[in-house]
Amino acid sequence: MDTLYLIKPGELELKTGNLREFESRLRKDIERRLEGRARVDIRPGRFFLRVPEGLEERAERVLSRVPGIVGYARALTCGKTMPEIGELALRVAREGREAGHSTFKVEARRADKGFPLDSYGLARELGGLILENVPGLSVDVKKPEFTVFVEVRERAYVHGAIRKGQKGLPSGSAGKGLLLLSGGIDSPVAGYLMAKRGLSLEAVYFNAYPYTSREAWEKVRDLAGIVARYAGNLVLHTLSFTDIQMEIKRGAPVECSTLFLRAAMVRAAHLLAAEIGANSLVTGESLGQVASQTAENIRFSQARTDLPIFRPLIGVDKEDTMRMAREIGSYEISILPYEDCCVLFSPEHPILRSRPDREGPIYESLGLDRLIEEAVRTRETLPVPFSV
Amino acid sequence: MSRTYLDWAATAPPSPEALEEYLRAAREYPGNPSSLHAEGSAARTALEDARARLAGLLGCRPGRVVFTSGGTEADGLPLLALLRRPSPGSVVISSIEHPAVFEQAAVLERLGWKVRRVDPGPDGRVAPGAVVDACGPDTVLAAVMAVNNETGAVQPLSEIRLALDEASRGGRRIRFHTDAVQAFGKVPFEPESLGADSAALSAHKIRGPRGVGALYLRTPIEPLAAGGGQEGGIRSGTENLAGILAFERAAAAAIRDLGENRRRARVLSDRLLDHIRAIPDVRPVPECRKAGDERYSPWILGLSLPGLAGETAVRILSDAGYDVSTGSACSSSRRKRRVLEAMGVPEALAFCAIRVSLGPTTTESEIDGFAEALRDAYLRYRT
Repeated sequence: MDTLYLIKPGELELKTGNLREFESRLRKDIERRLEGRARVDIRPGRFFLRVPEGLEERAERVLSRVPGIVGYARALTCGKTMPEIGELALRVAREGREAGHSTFKVEARRADKGFPLDSYGLARELGGLILENVPGLSVDVKKPEFTVFVEVRERAYVHGAIRKGQKGLPSGSAGKGLLLLSGGIDSPVAGYLMAKRGLSLEAVYFNAYPYTSREAWEKVRDLAGIVARYAGNLVLHTLSFTDIQMEIKRGAPVECSTLFLRAAMVRAAHLLAAEIGANSLVTGESLGQVASQTAENIRFSQARTDLPIFRPLIGVDKEDTMRMAREIGSYEISILPYEDCCVLFSPEHPILRSRPDREGPIYESLGLDRLIEEAVRTRETLPVPFSV
Repeated sequence: MSRTYLDWAATAPPSPEALEEYLRAAREYPGNPSSLHAEGSAARTALEDARARLAGLLGCRPGRVVFTSGGTEADGLPLLALLRRPSPGSVVISSIEHPAVFEQAAVLERLGWKVRRVDPGPDGRVAPGAVVDACGPDTVLAAVMAVNNETGAVQPLSEIRLALDEASRGGRRIRFHTDAVQAFGKVPFEPESLGADSAALSAHKIRGPRGVGALYLRTPIEPLAAGGGQEGGIRSGTENLAGILAFERAAAAAIRDLGENRRRARVLSDRLLDHIRAIPDVRPVPECRKAGDERYSPWILGLSLPGLAGETAVRILSDAGYDVSTGSACSSSRRKRRVLEAMGVPEALAFCAIRVSLGPTTTESEIDGFAEALRDAYLRYRT
């Protein structure tokens, strides 16, 4: 038998203007992630997902990761008669009791105004029924250990605990962003956060092979896979940056090498964004975390593009970033020991407060544009399917 | 693209004779050497014949050869046997030992033993006096490897043994163990005249199969691990008969050709030294190593490429068809270059070190090709 999930979409009520577009994006995203084997029905304020037997686990993982969902619950459904509703409410209550709970409440919502009992009456009636029939339970309306939810709409729906979704906005509703992905802890988290804001993502990795290893690239690919769990399908672009890095090393003052490398990366990302139709860049920068991430140096790299650069971690403590990384499952991959940037390229005392009038001309004089264009043109492109 | 293998110190491709012998022995002796029936006794005879022949190659009595699962186990046996003693004492090891000894000593340390680690000089060699100085009245074992696996430095084992005897005259004799994995079959190695109490040997470094080695054991030990009592009770477990026979075959070939092979290896490693000296800034590790220097095994050559990380160099050379390593294969993934640091090699040079190791089939044109690839890689990628 099919399993029914009731889904509470997030923030969509704010979007009266393009509500239908948002709803349809979310519906298509869920259906696509379930490979078309399950169907979503859109009702006012609620989605219902009908999942064939055997697909429940996958469906729940999808619902807990797809952006745009506040919560979801496995729901039971029946006709709009009190005996039927009562039977389902008892089933949910008994499950709660079996899970070891002893206090409960009933939360009822009557969307169909033709139903004889109002929300309050429905809750009271069902609460009484449960008290009579399930020993060991008492009512606690303030802090119940579990809640029996009842909604009377086109049909009646009864469910227990609501599990949390990612909230945010449906994938792609904010357009496409290009994530600058390294092997570190921050950038996957940044990608995840922006995916929740409705950006669909592609990612770019700046490869310094042979200074960095094949394993370092594989690590980035695996991180892209983690981000894809939330963002949906993701394309990973690998740009060979070895020649650019060497050119910088050759021609730039040593203290500027990181600054200029960063600038070259943003420039490359800018060009790539235009090719793939991205409206923004996403980075894991956090103010003051490393030398390239001072306001002055961020300004310097920002000057290589007029696209907005989203930096969701700019004001986030490293510890909090690490916590999020653990939650999304990227942390364990990020801390694998492969270097993502050869230490022999990193200056011991990098410049902290660059100035456009001072370092700008030096950067321009390196004439990196041709190499950057070539790196974009000769990139390797790998679709990273989301995994469940 | 043809590949050139220059990582023989990590493992040597098995020789056709050794492989053939392995297959023959596995077919011909299906019995367990401990079984009393005819198949068992045939296997027993084959095993003891191999032991006698290997003992002959070592110049010792057959009773002094204990077959093991490899070099690491052969190193571990005499060290772990110390735990059978009623109370902990101290051991002295060189700080350039292979992990088989170095890490095993660290385990003893965690179990209450004192471990003193003796640094080599800048030439990568451990001074006999320094070993003696590290010994105390409670020292029961000293271990110094025969040939270092990262630099090829040949350790002055006889002198160390003499110095230990001198120092412990009248007192308790200090056991002397040597990890001879990079020595046996590659450079002259005579455990008897050396006076070692034990020595670890490995088959796969001399073109035998993996998973087999031997412990030369002159003075008995009480093993920590127990079982069916095979190998005189020193190393229990059903004998890897086919592996042992193939090991003996490989060892016989290595000893037979040792003089000629070693001369060839010397010519080749000297040639390589000349080549690399022509590349600006590239230098041998240790820097004092010169062509023809008998203090270094001709099979192993350490190099440093300032400005090019060893790990990066290995990748570039691998892409160019040359297999070398950053050091011991057992620790190549780690950052720390323990051996080179102990020699006092500056971190910047140690970080940029690679190890080239030759084998009996290495040719002059391979060495020339490698030197050229190294030069190209270095000039293009050094930072």
